[in-house]
Amino acid sequence: MNPFRRLKGPRLGTKLMLLGMLLLVVPWFSYRQLVEMERLLIQGQSHAQLLTAEGISTLFNGREDLFNDLPVAVQDYESLFAHPLQSAIRLDAKFEDWGGQLDNKVLSFGSVTGDTDGDFRVLLGERGGQLYVFMWINDPEPVYRKLDLLRLDSADQIRLSFIRTDGEDGRISLIPTEPGVATAYEMDADWRFAKGTPENRVQAVLVQTEKGWQAEFRLPLDMLGSSRYFGMAFVDVDDPEARTIANNTQTLPKAGKESFNLVVLRSPEVLNIVKGLGYSGARIMVIDAQKQVRAETGAEQTSTTSPDVDSWFDTPLEVFHFLRPYLHELTTGETWVSGSRPEDSTAIADRTIASSLNGEPIAVRREIDNDQEIIMAAHPIVSEDRILGTVVVEQNINEIMTFQRSAIEQVVLFSVASLFTVFIALLAFAGRLAWRIRNLRREASAAIDQYGRLRTNELSNEINSGDEIGDLARSVSNMLSKLHQHNTFLENMPRTLRHEINNPLNTLNTSLENLATENPEIEGSKYLESAKRGVIRIGSIVQNLADAANLEESLAAEELEVIDIHLLLRSYVNNCSITHKKCSFVYKGPDFPVYAAVSDFRIEQMLDKIVDNAIDFHRTNSPIKVQLDTNRDYLQITVANRGPTLPEEDRRSLFDSMVSHRGSHNRLHFGLGLYVVRVIAEHHAGFVRAFNLADNSGVAIMVQLPLAEGINDQRSGYADEETSATPPIAQTG
Amino acid sequence: MSKSIAIVEDDPDQRANYTDAITAKGYNVSAYGSRREALQGMETQLPDLVVLDIILGEEVDAGFQLCRELLTKSPSLPVIFLTERINEIDKISGLRLGAWDYLPKPISLEYLAERISSLLRIQETRMQNDHEVSPSAKRIGDLSLDQEALLVSWKGSRIDLSGTEFRMLAKLVRMPGHAVSYETLMHATMQSLVTNNTINTHMRNIRKKFEKVDGDFASIKSEYGFGYRWSQS
Repeated sequence: MNPFRRLKGPRLGTKLMLLGMLLLVVPWFSYRQLVEMERLLIQGQSHAQLLTAEGISTLFNGREDLFNDLPVAVQDYESLFAHPLQSAIRLDAKFEDWGGQLDNKVLSFGSVTGDTDGDFRVLLGERGGQLYVFMWINDPEPVYRKLDLLRLDSADQIRLSFIRTDGEDGRISLIPTEPGVATAYEMDADWRFAKGTPENRVQAVLVQTEKGWQAEFRLPLDMLGSSRYFGMAFVDVDDPEARTIANNTQTLPKAGKESFNLVVLRSPEVLNIVKGLGYSGARIMVIDAQKQVRAETGAEQTSTTSPDVDSWFDTPLEVFHFLRPYLHELTTGETWVSGSRPEDSTAIADRTIASSLNGEPIAVRREIDNDQEIIMAAHPIVSEDRILGTVVVEQNINEIMTFQRSAIEQVVLFSVASLFTVFIALLAFAGRLAWRIRNLRREASAAIDQYGRLRTNELSNEINSGDEIGDLARSVSNMLSKLHQHNTFLENMPRTLRHEINNPLNTLNTSLENLATENPEIEGSKYLESAKRGVIRIGSIVQNLADAANLEESLAAEELEVIDIHLLLRSYVNNCSITHKKCSFVYKGPDFPVYAAVSDFRIEQMLDKIVDNAIDFHRTNSPIKVQLDTNRDYLQITVANRGPTLPEEDRRSLFDSMVSHRGSHNRLHFGLGLYVVRVIAEHHAGFVRAFNLADNSGVAIMVQLPLAEGINDQRSGYADEETSATPPIAQTG
Repeated sequence: MSKSIAIVEDDPDQRANYTDAITAKGYNVSAYGSRREALQGMETQLPDLVVLDIILGEEVDAGFQLCRELLTKSPSLPVIFLTERINEIDKISGLRLGAWDYLPKPISLEYLAERISSLLRIQETRMQNDHEVSPSAKRIGDLSLDQEALLVSWKGSRIDLSGTEFRMLAKLVRMPGHAVSYETLMHATMQSLVTNNTINTHMRNIRKKFEKVDGDFASIKSEYGFGYRWSQS
C-alpha cells in the first residue's frame, strides 16, 4: 500500500470554510475604523469648541473695563455674589426652589459662631433681571411694626443700601407688618421715616420661624447703578415696648468711606456680547479670574431620548451596546471606558478652568450625568500681561455622538449581517459544490465494474449543469461514451471476425470438397485431411470466441427455471463417467432435492468447463470429486482434483477473460473456459472461487449459487453420515 | 427433366464452388451475384428451388428481401438460406419469412446437395398429397413423423420444424427412452461446426414449438453432461 495515500489534503468544503473565515477580518477592521472615527469626531468637535472659545475670548481680550466695574480692585470688597438661578423663584420664604447646589455658597454675617442674636446667613441669586435674596436670620424675639408709629426704625427690619442709577444713595427698609408680609419703603438718610409710599418694585416675604426669620425678597437690578454697590443689614428690635435697636448686623464694612458691598453679578455688557454668540446646544460662560461666572448664555441640550431609529433596529443596537465593551477589548486590546464618574467630572471641570486661567487653552471631554457627555473647551481672556478670565464653551456631544455612533453602528451591523449572510451562502455553496463533486465521483467510479468493464456509456448527474462541474461531467460522459464505442467495437470484434472469417472458410471448405470430387485419387490423402482439420479448427476457434463474447447477451435472454440441482449433478457426474472414460468421478450430495432457479444447460455448460479444467490438471488415476452442499441461503458446488496447485498470484486472475495458466503448449485454450464459469455463476447471482486443497494436494473450484426461495426444506441431514461429518473441502489462503 | 436451381451468392469463388458441385449432381444451375441480377434472371421462369445468401454486396438484407419477393410470386417455392449470419435473430426472421431451411456457413457441399434433393422431394410429395399425412409417416406415441414430406405432428397438430430441427428430432426418436449423445445429434445437423450450445439451442427451439401446441409437453429430456433422451410419458 502506498503510504502517501493517507496524506489526503483537507476536503474542499473545509478549504472554502477556512477561506471564508478570512472574511471575519472585515468586521474587525470596520470596528477599528469605527473607534478611530469616533476619536476623530470628538477631536474635531473639541477643536471646534476651542476655536469658538478662542474667538469669543478675543472679543474680551484687553477689555478690562468689562471685568472691572469698580474703580478699585474687586478683592478690596466683601463681595456678594449673585448666583445664576436655574429655575423661577416663588417668593414664599421657602428655600426649596433655589436648587440644592447653592448650599455651600451661603454667606454668614454677624458673630463667628453664627448663633448670636441678629446673626444672619444670606444667599443671592439672579434671574431675569431680578436680584433674589434669601436670608436666615437669628432672632428669638421678633418684633413687628406697630402701625401707629410713624418712625419705622421701631421694628425688626432688613435694610438695603445701594447706589442708584442716578448716582444717589438709595435706602430701602423691609419691615414685617404682620406674619408673612413685609413692606418695602424708601427711607430717609437716618433710616427713620419713609420717603412716601411703599416701594412696590421690591417684593419681600418675611416668615417667622423658631430661630427667628426667614426672608426672601427680590429687587430689579435696574434699581442699582451699573457699579452695583449694594449692602444689607438686619436691624434687630427685641423689646416690643421700648422698641430700641438691639443689634445691627450688616454686610457692610463697619468702617471706611466706601460702606457698601459689591454685588458681583454677571456683567450685562459681557452678557450682551456673549448672547449674540450663543448657538444651539452650546453653553457659553464667561468666568472671571475669581472663578465667578460673569455671563452665561445658552444651555446644554440634555436630551434623554435617543435619536430616532427604526424600531426593529433597536434590538440589534441594544445587543451591540451590550457587546461593545467585549468587542472593543477584543479588537483593540484596550479596556472599554465609557466615561468618568460625576465626582471626577466636577473635578475635571475645576481643573480645566484653573488651567485655562493659568493661560492655557484646553478642551476636555467629560460626562456630567450617566448618559450625558459634554466637551468643555476653555480659552483664557488676556489683557497685556494679565489674565482676566476665561471663556468656557460647553456642548453636549451626546446627541451628535449618539447619532453618529448609531449611524456607524448601523453600517457596521449591516456589514456584519451581510458578511454573515455571505459567509453562510459561501458555506452552503461549498457544501453543495462538494456534494456535487462527490456525486459525480461516485457515479464516475461506478461506471466501471471491478473487472474494468463499462456499466454505462454516460453519466446522468450534472450533465445539464452549465458550470465547470457540468463541463467535467460532460467530458467524463463523453469519454465514457467513446470508451463504450471502443468497447463495443472490441466486444463485437469476435462476431465480426466470425462473419468475416466464415466466408473465406466456406470457400476453403467447398473448394477442398470440389477438389476431392474432381480428383478422386487424392481422396483420403493426408494433406487433404490435415487441410480439412485446419478448416475445422479455425472454425471452432472463431465459434468459441464468438460464443464467449455473446455469452452475457444470450444469458440475459434466457429464462430461469427452478430445478433440482442434486438430480442434475448426479446425472451429470454419471454421464461424465461415460463421456470421459479415462477419469473416475465421485459425487457426494445431500439426500434431498436442492432447488435453485437456473438455466439448466448453462449450468451444464459451466460444469463442462470446470470438469474440463479438472481433467486437464488431475493426476492420473486420482478421482475427480464433485460435491454439493447446502446452507440456509445458498448451495455450493465444489469440484476438486488432485494435481499441481495454483500459484497464489494466479488465483485472482484465473476467471478473467483470455487468461490461461496452461502454458504455451496448448494452443486450443484461450482462457475462455473459467471466464465462462464466472459469467454464468454471476448471471445466477452467485460467484466462483478457486483455491488449493488444505493439504496442497490439488485444486478445488467452488461455485456458490443462491437457493430458490420457499421451496427447499430446511434440512441439514445427508444421505452419507460420513460426508456430513467432514466439512466441505477446507480452503487455504 | 432436370430440376432448375437458382443460387444467389455475391462471392464468386463460393458461387463457382456451389455451381460446380450442384451441377455435378445433375441439376440445372443458374447463379447470380446480386439481387438485381437474380430478379432479372428469374423474371420469366421461376426455378424449382432457390439458395440465397443474405448479405449481397453492399445490401445487408438483400437475401431477406429477395426471399419475400420470390415468395410473393410463388408461395410454395422452396427457399434455403445459406449464410454466415448465424445469429438466432437472423435465423428466426429467415424462417418466419417462409424459408424452408437456414444453413450456416461453412457448409459441406455434400450436405447442401442432400438438403436440395430432400427439399425437392418433399416439395413433390406435398404437391401430390396435398397436406394429407402420408402413409410413410412413422408413429411414436403421440408423435407422427413423415420423413418424406418433412412433416411433424404432435397429437394431431402440425408442427413446423426447420430441416435441421427435423433431423435432430428424427435422430432423437429413433430409439425412444435411450439417451442420444451430443455427438450423435451434431452429426444429425450435418454441419461441420457444431458445439453443445448449438445443440442445446436447437433442442430448446424444438421444445418450444411442441409446447406451443401442448403446454404439458415434456418428452424431450436433458441428459446433463451427455445429451438428450426422448421419453414416452
